[in-house]
Amino acid sequence: MTDTKTPPASATVSIPVRQTPTVLRLLESYALPLLTVLVYAFFCFFPLSSASFPTMNNLSVILGSNAVIALISIAALFPLVCNYFDFSLGANAVMTQVMTAGFMSTFGMPLWLSIVLSLILGTLVGVVNGFFVTRLHMSPFVTTLGMSMLLAGLLSWFTGGKTLASGIDPALIRFGSTRIAGIPLVFFITLLVALLAWYFLTHTPFGRSLYAIGSNPTAATLVGLPVTKNVWWSFIVAGFIAGAAGVLQLARVGSAAASDGGTLLFPALAAVFLGATAIRPGFFNVWGTIIGAVFVSVSVSGLALSGASGWASSVFNGIALLAAVALSTYLGRSKRRG
Amino acid sequence: MTDVTTNPGAAGSIPAAPGASTSDLALAVRHLDKDFAGTRALNDASLVVRRGTVHALLGGNGSGKSTTIKILAGVYPADGGELTIFDEQHDLRGYSPATAQQAGLRFVHQDLGLFDDLSIEENFALDAGYPRRGPGIDWRGLRRRVTALLREYELDVDPRAPIRTLRPSDQTMVAIARALQDQDADQQLILVLDEPTARLAAHESELLLERVRRRADEGQTVLIVSHRLREVLAVSDDFTVYRDGRVVGELVGESPTEDRLIEIMAGRAVQALRPTGDVAAADDTPVFSVTGLRGGPVRGIDFTVHRGEILGLTGLVGSGRSSVLKMIFGEYAPDTGVMTLEGTPFAPRDVGEAMAAGVALVPEDRGHEASFMDQTVSENLALATLSENWTAGFMPRRRERATARRLIETFGVKVGGPDALFSSMSGGNQQKVVLARWMQRQPHLLLLDEPTQGVDVMSRADIYSSIRRAAAEGCAVIVASSDLAEIHALCDRTLVLSRGKITDEVAAGTLDVDGLTSLVLREKTIPDAHPEATHD
Repeated sequence: MTDTKTPPASATVSIPVRQTPTVLRLLESYALPLLTVLVYAFFCFFPLSSASFPTMNNLSVILGSNAVIALISIAALFPLVCNYFDFSLGANAVMTQVMTAGFMSTFGMPLWLSIVLSLILGTLVGVVNGFFVTRLHMSPFVTTLGMSMLLAGLLSWFTGGKTLASGIDPALIRFGSTRIAGIPLVFFITLLVALLAWYFLTHTPFGRSLYAIGSNPTAATLVGLPVTKNVWWSFIVAGFIAGAAGVLQLARVGSAAASDGGTLLFPALAAVFLGATAIRPGFFNVWGTIIGAVFVSVSVSGLALSGASGWASSVFNGIALLAAVALSTYLGRSKRRG
Repeated sequence: MTDVTTNPGAAGSIPAAPGASTSDLALAVRHLDKDFAGTRALNDASLVVRRGTVHALLGGNGSGKSTTIKILAGVYPADGGELTIFDEQHDLRGYSPATAQQAGLRFVHQDLGLFDDLSIEENFALDAGYPRRGPGIDWRGLRRRVTALLREYELDVDPRAPIRTLRPSDQTMVAIARALQDQDADQQLILVLDEPTARLAAHESELLLERVRRRADEGQTVLIVSHRLREVLAVSDDFTVYRDGRVVGELVGESPTEDRLIEIMAGRAVQALRPTGDVAAADDTPVFSVTGLRGGPVRGIDFTVHRGEILGLTGLVGSGRSSVLKMIFGEYAPDTGVMTLEGTPFAPRDVGEAMAAGVALVPEDRGHEASFMDQTVSENLALATLSENWTAGFMPRRRERATARRLIETFGVKVGGPDALFSSMSGGNQQKVVLARWMQRQPHLLLLDEPTQGVDVMSRADIYSSIRRAAAEGCAVIVASSDLAEIHALCDRTLVLSRGKITDEVAAGTLDVDGLTSLVLREKTIPDAHPEATHD
């Protein structure tokens, strides 16, 4: 005999939803800014650095040296958001730095034309990178590393190993050392670029599509997003911003010499990855990146003024990069797992 | 002999086969409770498995069956309950994966945990340890043992073959043999199969389950968790059905129909899973038509779909079902063929153009082709309407959330809110979000590729209702599916494809599921029986 009775279905099905408490989430989002403030405060009171660290002059140095690195990190952000690396950004910036100087000193061109030509060169490097990666499906890692070596080699040939310091329009150097309310003008320029980058990444279909591509390129194609085109554009934008960073670097430093740009690139990458642990944890984002750049600059400056040797800043940058990558990888993975 | 009870959790009412003593039971869990952050996942649930039987644990997503399995595996701690395995009481406090292993539970999950590039014998040895001889490995001893095991489990394969080279059902069988390799006269084991057929095609899962059945006939106790009711029905002795963390049905030694099980699982929602019985909304206005479509596996297809019509496309794997949809959606261009959408020629160069023309596609492989796992539900929904949403140079997040909230409501998505991560939802709810993503664009032509694959019964009912609603509002719908029960329930008219051509056209109500099945299968045995179909 069979007798089955089933209770009526309830109208709702309850599902366990994992939710991080708000306080924890806030703490996660703002841990990096908080840490930056703490590190700043620490060096203000640390006996070895307390004399020279908390001065207006030092703050200006921190923000000035920070500006160029922050610009490169914003450049790196665009390809990174769609999951592509660009290792040529440092070399790209060095290229525009050298070429702007070179156009003026070697070829006697006016300042504006030198800058425009350099920016075109920087953008072209992005176009070529994007072509290799999106059209020929080459590994972005190897492609941009190769590009970086190529650029460094060509620059060595162009400069003959010398530092270009003469024949540079003094207007550019005046611009580079201008301060407003004690803070270098270049820092405000970086903030302006950051604002633009924030706008493009979060408030345009282009930026939103980059995040979608980074999340799932196949699905992005299937919701009608122009994946190839937008990834290519991300390399072009990165090339342009890195080019601009090189011009600013020349304005700040007043001279240019060939190099592979590693001293610019690696702190910048550390800043981007640190940035992915803040504000919007697990995602590369503009304001996190800026805070990451400030954090790196504050720490390096504090270490230097406490009497640490030159190698200390390299060690710090290395540790910061590793820790940042570890943290942002962990956060990203836990997002995907759900 | 049948004995079915409704179990509102009363302790003594756990049925066993009449006359069974407790020692006939392999596994008994009773009064199982589990809370997740204040949500009841299990409420006085129970599960009683008899020795030497195949026992199916069924239920929709969120019903608590996965939670129960995870508690048994020692992955989640239970809040309360009693557990007996082979007459031995186990304390659920301090119960760990190691206890589960020791008590005789062996789990084979959907992800088999095999090393694809290593040989079968190495996969066995990596689990149980390499047998040693002197300073080296006793390869010959290992091979002898593995060969014997493979024969026992009806696997006619070389132990040296890499896992990758095996057919899918054999891979699962290897995983089962590996899990049970230390079973002997002294230790009985319980095999727990967690969605074993989810990644298998229909005929592969049949092959697998037949062998599992024969293992049970020889005394193996098996517990199966599966979405695919029909397969489970064929092999199981007993059934336990969960809903909302409670036991809503226990069927011992019975052979219920699929409909009856669905009824127990879904309760009132079951109505949506049946054919509506009328070709409700379809009228004679053609929305989309194609002639001479060729490309990929598709070798010349013509058809027309009308306003409000739900057209089914079915056929075996490789018949070209999905390819037809992909070509219409502009994923790749057909070699030849003329398409017409709403009276105008239609030849999309990419997905964007197809979307602009009012076409939408819900792809087959949700995880790979439609999910942005690390983004929120609201963001996932907005991605198909980015440029439409962009107003005055800004992306209006607040409006996106409001839209998301409305869609969550309309499509019955069970989720915390628009800001919940896509990955936090169950498969059925993810699929509803993907469907909602496209329906908000109000497409004229909706293409659905396996719309309820990996989706639980409750969500399937909701999804069917949404599809019917879309058709009722005038949308032309094409459903490509290998699930003939789905085709039968949903479609006004069905085209059967075989080797890239249409071989049959079936109107709703003229054939039942078995009739459709034989139409589809016949094409395999008598190829080109219908050289060219005549229709429209």
